[in-house]
Amino acid sequence: MKNIVIGRYIPGNSFLYKMDPRTKIISLFVLMVAVFMIPRDAFEMMFIGIGLIVLLLLIGKISIKRVYLGLRPLMFLLIFTFVFQILFNRQGPELQSWDLNYSFLNIIAAAVLVLFWIFTKKYVRTKILYFAFMLVGVIIILNQLSLGNVFSTGQLVIHEEALLIGFFIMMRLIIIVTLSTVLTLSTKPTDLNLGLEAVMKPLKFLRINTEEIAMIISISLRYIPTLLDEANKIMLAQASRGVDFAEGKLKDKVMQIISLLVPMFIISFKRSDELANAMEARCFIPGATRTRLHQLFWNRLDTVALVVSLIILIGSITVRVVV
Amino acid sequence: MGIKFNKVDFKYQGNDNKAYLALSNITLNIKDTGEFITLIGETGSGKTTLVQHMNALLTPLSGSVDIFGVKINRENVKKKKVKLNPIRQQVGLVFQFPEYQLFEETVQKDIIFGPKNFGVDEATAIERAKEVIKVVGLDESYLQRSPFNLSGGEKKRVSIAGILAMEPDILILDEPTSGLDPLGRNALLDVFYDIHKKLNKTIIIITHDMNTVYEYAKRVLVMRDSYLVYDGDPIHLFTNKNIDNWNLDVPDLLNLIHKLEEDLGIQLPTQPRNEQELFEQLKVVLS
Repeated sequence: MKNIVIGRYIPGNSFLYKMDPRTKIISLFVLMVAVFMIPRDAFEMMFIGIGLIVLLLLIGKISIKRVYLGLRPLMFLLIFTFVFQILFNRQGPELQSWDLNYSFLNIIAAAVLVLFWIFTKKYVRTKILYFAFMLVGVIIILNQLSLGNVFSTGQLVIHEEALLIGFFIMMRLIIIVTLSTVLTLSTKPTDLNLGLEAVMKPLKFLRINTEEIAMIISISLRYIPTLLDEANKIMLAQASRGVDFAEGKLKDKVMQIISLLVPMFIISFKRSDELANAMEARCFIPGATRTRLHQLFWNRLDTVALVVSLIILIGSITVRVVV
Repeated sequence: MGIKFNKVDFKYQGNDNKAYLALSNITLNIKDTGEFITLIGETGSGKTTLVQHMNALLTPLSGSVDIFGVKINRENVKKKKVKLNPIRQQVGLVFQFPEYQLFEETVQKDIIFGPKNFGVDEATAIERAKEVIKVVGLDESYLQRSPFNLSGGEKKRVSIAGILAMEPDILILDEPTSGLDPLGRNALLDVFYDIHKKLNKTIIIITHDMNTVYEYAKRVLVMRDSYLVYDGDPIHLFTNKNIDNWNLDVPDLLNLIHKLEEDLGIQLPTQPRNEQELFEQLKVVLS
């Protein structure tokens, strides 16, 4: 719970911190498009992309550990999509195939392995690796053993496309999340808000109230850490009344979550009420024209950064079109 | 038995990856019966962190806490060698803000939530709820109301009732009287004092009110900048120690006694602990 870094600003001192938030937001979008433009078979380009990201983290003095912590909640999603692709994607030439024997004893043996994994996973530090071992183990059991009478056989086939697409989806997600983490890590929420407002200005012609949207986003970002701290306190208060958040049956779990969520909602409503009052007390009028305490300045650094990201975009478009 | 702190350190991780000391080298012994302790100190001195160690909500970074014979330290908790839930029934902790714990539809359901978690059956829990709601100074009609429509003071009382219904051996209260009117504050403090006297239970109260400390406490703990700087009786603290350094205040009654001594030359035979005692002694001295 404490390690969630989405939306958290970490003070630092590098070129990323000196850049104009507008540049950072526009570059983020440009680079995201560039990542999606990379064709499926261009391995070299994906590796160049990853190399560029690592370079960005190194020059920008962003700790890779922080970014990894931001990626960790996504790990499950990443592995899930990868496994799904491998199991169900049947395009392209076959790479490898295994015969699977289904018999009662085989299935029981596999189930025993899964149970063993469930009970021992909390003692193992590298959970993802351990999960992979479990999967491989199940496949080996079903492939090698044929205990008792085999009532059905199947095949596990891995196709080239499956591996490729699985890998690319993973890499794209990782790059995009890393880029957005870099943006929020290196930009103060207030600057981010200013930047968003400036970037969204053109939408005003469509009669969309950009100022309000920017404010909503910035308030949400601002309150993520506060609400997390609050959730922590509520969990402590309920733990001292005997709620064990680590264990319990399904019925208990539901009760535990309710005992956390209800106070969370009530505190959030109360907070938003107080915030609205505080803003009104300082004469905040939605949509009024106002001057800024902090003005945004465009430096040469911003031009360079924008040009570099545009070059990257053009590069990936060219590769897609030409190759 | 009781709670024993052995060289406990604790740090909080800040946003900027810096560690903030909350407890430094705390060694402390609290008996499981017969103590009435007040814990005082500036805001941010580590009082709340200290009491959260007392029912194993937090685990010491180094050192250990012995709670009713169960040793809580980093290793034991990480390897899940110890069961924490029974400890939380024995040491009841009331949080400063009732909003953090009230969540049920009715006050009664909220009060029986704690006991039910510790395996008390529903009928017994409801019986207890009817008792404790009176103990905290509300009547039974409150049991069917929603906890969210109550005033701040009433919420506070309900949250205290929720912990009392667990029947803990040691009761810890984090600023139980903040946000209460003077009358309600005194009534509630008397409730705690009664529980302490009748059942001989240990009570620990965090407070900023020096009058409470002076009138009720048998023992006072002072925290300052994550250190435990004083552990002893309140009279000694307020008369001999240099309390200005700890940002503490002198209780009103003591100020009055000093004035009586200095300006009127009245020497009292003993140190009175409350207004009644002062009045009795004055009657004797003046007549």
